[in-house]
Amino acid sequence: MKIKRILIANRGEIAVRIMKTARMMNIETVAVKTAVEPNAMYLSSADVIYDNTEDVSEIPVFLDIEKLIAIALKTKANAVHPGYGFLAENAYFAQKCIDNKIIFIGPSPDAIYKMGNKTIARKIALAGGIPMAMGSEGNIANEEEAAIIAEKIGYPVIIKAASGGGGRGMRIVRKSEEMEKMFIIASKEAEKAFNDPSVFVEKYIENPKHIEFQILGDTKGNIIHLGERECSIQRKHQKLLEEAPSSALDEKLREKMGKMAVQIAKAVDYHSAGTVEFLLDSDKNFYFMEMNTRIQVEHPVTEIITGIDLIEQQIRIANDEELKFRQEDIKLKGWAIECRINAEDVQAGFAPDPGKIESLNMPSDPCVRVDTGVQAGSSIVTSYDSMIAKLIVKGKDRKEAIKNCKMALDKVWIKGTKTTLPFFRMLVRHQKFQDGSFTTAFIEKDLEKYYFNSEYEEMLAAWLATKLFVEENLNDDSINIDFKHGKDMSPWLLNKRINQF
Amino acid sequence: MANDKLQIKKLYALSSENRKFSFSLPLKQTIRIGKRDYEVKLKADEKYGTYILWKNRKYPVEVVSSRQNRYEILFNDISYTFTVETPFSLQRMKVLNSKRGKVEKEYIKAPMPGKIIDVLVREGSNVLRGEPVVILEAMKMQNEILSPVNGVIVKVSARANTNVMKDDLLIEIKVG
Repeated sequence: MKIKRILIANRGEIAVRIMKTARMMNIETVAVKTAVEPNAMYLSSADVIYDNTEDVSEIPVFLDIEKLIAIALKTKANAVHPGYGFLAENAYFAQKCIDNKIIFIGPSPDAIYKMGNKTIARKIALAGGIPMAMGSEGNIANEEEAAIIAEKIGYPVIIKAASGGGGRGMRIVRKSEEMEKMFIIASKEAEKAFNDPSVFVEKYIENPKHIEFQILGDTKGNIIHLGERECSIQRKHQKLLEEAPSSALDEKLREKMGKMAVQIAKAVDYHSAGTVEFLLDSDKNFYFMEMNTRIQVEHPVTEIITGIDLIEQQIRIANDEELKFRQEDIKLKGWAIECRINAEDVQAGFAPDPGKIESLNMPSDPCVRVDTGVQAGSSIVTSYDSMIAKLIVKGKDRKEAIKNCKMALDKVWIKGTKTTLPFFRMLVRHQKFQDGSFTTAFIEKDLEKYYFNSEYEEMLAAWLATKLFVEENLNDDSINIDFKHGKDMSPWLLNKRINQF
Repeated sequence: MANDKLQIKKLYALSSENRKFSFSLPLKQTIRIGKRDYEVKLKADEKYGTYILWKNRKYPVEVVSSRQNRYEILFNDISYTFTVETPFSLQRMKVLNSKRGKVEKEYIKAPMPGKIIDVLVREGSNVLRGEPVVILEAMKMQNEILSPVNGVIVKVSARANTNVMKDDLLIEIKVG
């Protein structure tokens, strides 16, 4: 193995996840300690910690190419794993690593660039005869041009950032009056997020399913797919729950879409792990959307149904090893569901609810896998995303996976911030989720209530409020303790308070 | 007050959605469902923190805030706000509510901490319900803050490129 020591150019659960596989492969890892999260959990999994807490620049170190290269050289890491987000899909970063003789665990800079630029990716897909939604040939200059194209292909259309991904810089336009406003918002958001204000316009496919294929390619030209994931449960293009496989695909459609996904990857000589995203309409027509040239948040569901460690494959491929399996060796077994438990307030439109995690208890059943970067005492900080943990549950089929998921969700106890748990508890009970007929419009259109509570929960909460009122107003010897989120509360005082009841 | 206490036989917890739960005093540790009484226990331990034990299941609970007779309770990850009323205060509230007219002003507050990216309205301009008024960036996402009402903008407190805290006043709208 050429790779001896990997700098993890990332944080949170994905840093922990990469280090877990590296350890299993006897490869050392370097983690970067930042001033924002000096006690983060991922630091405890690393062999070497680079202390960057003195750096108080506003740009996170995980976005600072020069700095990361310097850290890799200083700590003698001969490889870099970018994780997801940050610089994972930055061709310049990948090139810089290569220039400094550091192995970039990911695809070639060329593949990142071509697939990262959505207008180039569109052209590649078009040339390969991959089905796509109608749209502009290239980037569009202004809202007038956007309006002309939209008239031609028909509303609704979607404006997308050319350099975009992950749902940012995207806006749906339903009528011509909205075009000007939406164009400006999308372009501004694109510039802010990707340093590139260019956008293009595409026909908006109504109520599709989001189906994506996991790709693995080596540096010898072998490319295979590991089946699909369905990620239709999303809000504002942010995925909330993913599963593998998808109930919308049969073997024939899987083979057809898989072939197309491999063909797209082949067009850019892809190596490493990647994901080709499609939209699937109600008539089972599919359209190429984009290719993500990195490991995905939702990669565990594919790992569970294929038994393949995707991080290990990324490392082996970066080490120039040949894939050990062919397409016909890939067998999908069972069903896996991933819930992204985020620090968000579902009762307030999924607004982020950053704060300190007071306690975190996750189920340990054999059907459950938990990928997390936080523990009790960790903080969800506003500088980064709001993820607390990924709850990944398996079953022999979809029905069993949902049943296990329901059980596991009730065993998750997180205190300190509000979480998306009540949303998932509702989702697993929803008819449309259970029968598989949901689409990406599910949250927006099919839901009246974003959370689940059983019949008596509100009454029990009312009882507690009344209990507190009685104690505070009708007893003279009441002790006044502010136990907001359990903060500053000594267990002794609390017990005394409870014993009074 | 001392005499009042003796007279109170019932308390009402009113939810923010106007559901009423009544409890007789002295408050029991049981809740009657149909013909059976079920025991409710408030407990705490080191692993789970505070929880309520009901029908053999543990539910996590927190008191998020308590101000006078208003309590926000986080029960099984869902928050509920109640005002606890005595029969007397409930009666008074009903009278007050019937006299109060409809709300004339709408205050748009920041739903989360973040940075104002753009302010899309000016003082004096008309807005329609559902129209975006402010773009707020929070945790990597740009969020459009929509007007909940039709009306006229009377005050714009939000400034582009400034940071705001949760519940900071952004826009004041005169309804109608």
